[in-house]
Amino acid sequence: MRAKLFADVFIIEAKRTMSYRADFWINVIGGLLSGIAIPYFMWSWIFQAEGGGDDTLLIGGRTFGQMIAYYIACALISKVVRGSDLPLSISSDIYEGGLNRYLLYPTRYLPFKYAQQLGAMVPNLVQMVGFGVIFFFALGLPAGVEITATTVAMTAASLLVANLLYFLLTYPLQLISFWADNVWSLIILLRFVTSLLGGAMLPLEMFPAVWRDVLPYTPFPTLFYLPVQTLLGEVSIVAWGQGLLIGLAWCVGIGLCGALVWRRGELRYTGVGI
Amino acid sequence: MIEVQGLSKTFTVHKKQPGLLGSLRSLVRREKIEKHALKSVDFRIAEGEIVGLIGANGAGKTTLVKMLAGIIHPTAGDATVLGHRPWERHDGFRQHVALIMGQKAQLWWDLPAADCFLLLKEIYQLDAKRYRETLDYLTEVLDVRDQINVQIRRLSLGERMKMELIAALLHTPRVVYLDEPTIGLDLTAQRAIRDFLLSYRELHRPAMLLTSHYMEDIERLCERIIILREGELIYDGALSDVVKKYAQHKRVIAHLRKTPDSVERRHEVSLIAEYESIDDLEVRLRVPRDRVAEASSALLAHYPVADLSIEEPDIGTIIERIIRRDGGTEPGAEK
Repeated sequence: MRAKLFADVFIIEAKRTMSYRADFWINVIGGLLSGIAIPYFMWSWIFQAEGGGDDTLLIGGRTFGQMIAYYIACALISKVVRGSDLPLSISSDIYEGGLNRYLLYPTRYLPFKYAQQLGAMVPNLVQMVGFGVIFFFALGLPAGVEITATTVAMTAASLLVANLLYFLLTYPLQLISFWADNVWSLIILLRFVTSLLGGAMLPLEMFPAVWRDVLPYTPFPTLFYLPVQTLLGEVSIVAWGQGLLIGLAWCVGIGLCGALVWRRGELRYTGVGI
Repeated sequence: MIEVQGLSKTFTVHKKQPGLLGSLRSLVRREKIEKHALKSVDFRIAEGEIVGLIGANGAGKTTLVKMLAGIIHPTAGDATVLGHRPWERHDGFRQHVALIMGQKAQLWWDLPAADCFLLLKEIYQLDAKRYRETLDYLTEVLDVRDQINVQIRRLSLGERMKMELIAALLHTPRVVYLDEPTIGLDLTAQRAIRDFLLSYRELHRPAMLLTSHYMEDIERLCERIIILREGELIYDGALSDVVKKYAQHKRVIAHLRKTPDSVERRHEVSLIAEYESIDDLEVRLRVPRDRVAEASSALLAHYPVADLSIEEPDIGTIIERIIRRDGGTEPGAEK
């Protein structure tokens, strides 16, 4: 797919998504409530129960302020990584026959959908930048957390890889619609597994040692843990580079798996639908 | 341009029993049914031809169109369109083909048509001058210049269909598939689209395959038709020949000056033709094609005829009978 077409699809999709103002604000409020307010109240309670909310008590190697900064970064970053996965647009294309148009056009389906997914993620990006500035710069950073131009640039690169990897993880699962009518539960399961093993629910330092040894070689830390650590300045350049390489290797592997599922599945496509 | 040899398609569908119990049972075990949508179909279509594809619902028309557009794979047989196997989806094929489905929007619902067209310009890599000229021509002829900045979902059905046509023809395809392009449209919109398709054919000479349930579409646009029945091709030929092939009788109607006075007269005529109706001042006969002159002479000889007319059966009625298999298949009539 040519870069100009990719850019055009991205822009059109961004324009389309940004035109839904009500959805934008509901998304903001819902995201903040679930992603920040719940961990804040929960960790406040835990730190209080453990003997105080000052900067001397460490849980999982973090002070209360660092813990909340981790969850704020995670809440903002995870929306960008996941993009607009929940409308299940690939699955809908198969189920409702919308795939017809993409098979007719002289272009490739996967990059086209990825450009659309990136475009639809723009409101999330606006939220991430806007609320990131409010939380981290206007309200101040906790002690021990430093955000610099370098960490921001490194985070942007991590986000690109994380977003691509998450999209490629959902792709073969959505393609199961060639065989099954509804794949909603699979995507929800993926959300849960990636949130848990990717560090969006708990920082990975809190996992048992065996898990901590194995997880770096799985695709999951690349999704949330690595970008969050990068933003908060908790990772060295070498570890960051290794993390990105592992993520990219998984992109290739999962991409090949997706291509295989597509090749088998599209033979079954009937082009019928609503 | 289009060559089809022994093309077949079988779908496997799951049968689900109704009710809660049926749903529960289907979680464990599902019954599969094979549906033969298309059975070894052969035909060719040349450049500049508009061929009507006719059949009842479920006859396999849309399945055939989807296969020739490269959307679905066949179960058996082969086809080439512009020298390519459609389902291999080479860009060299897709660059020159268009599909318009009246029952399914291809354009992006939330975007204005102008944005969709710009995206298609990039997809088909049209140069700016050619794109502008084609778009101006199509919006002018279809009279939708003022609507191209309106979101597709806010357009009327007729306007949306016109936008679909523009989107499909922006890249001036050499092969155009039209699946029910006038469905649901009012008479004025139907006529506008038919006129447009004829003028487009004159200008660009594409091969066109048209499916429609409206006989007027077929009669106005197609010189040749293909009839499918339950997945089988049962007729491929000139539209005008359908009448000769399937309607082996004509109707002869005599308007009488006065009431006929003898019962024997009826017998003389019935040796040649079959009476459909007879009353005081009108006689209607169903006459074999090759005996129309003889039957007319007998009527003139035995009845006080004031006026005589000979009618061909309505083509729509004949085709309807053929596709429903009730009377359209007179012995020796099928291909």
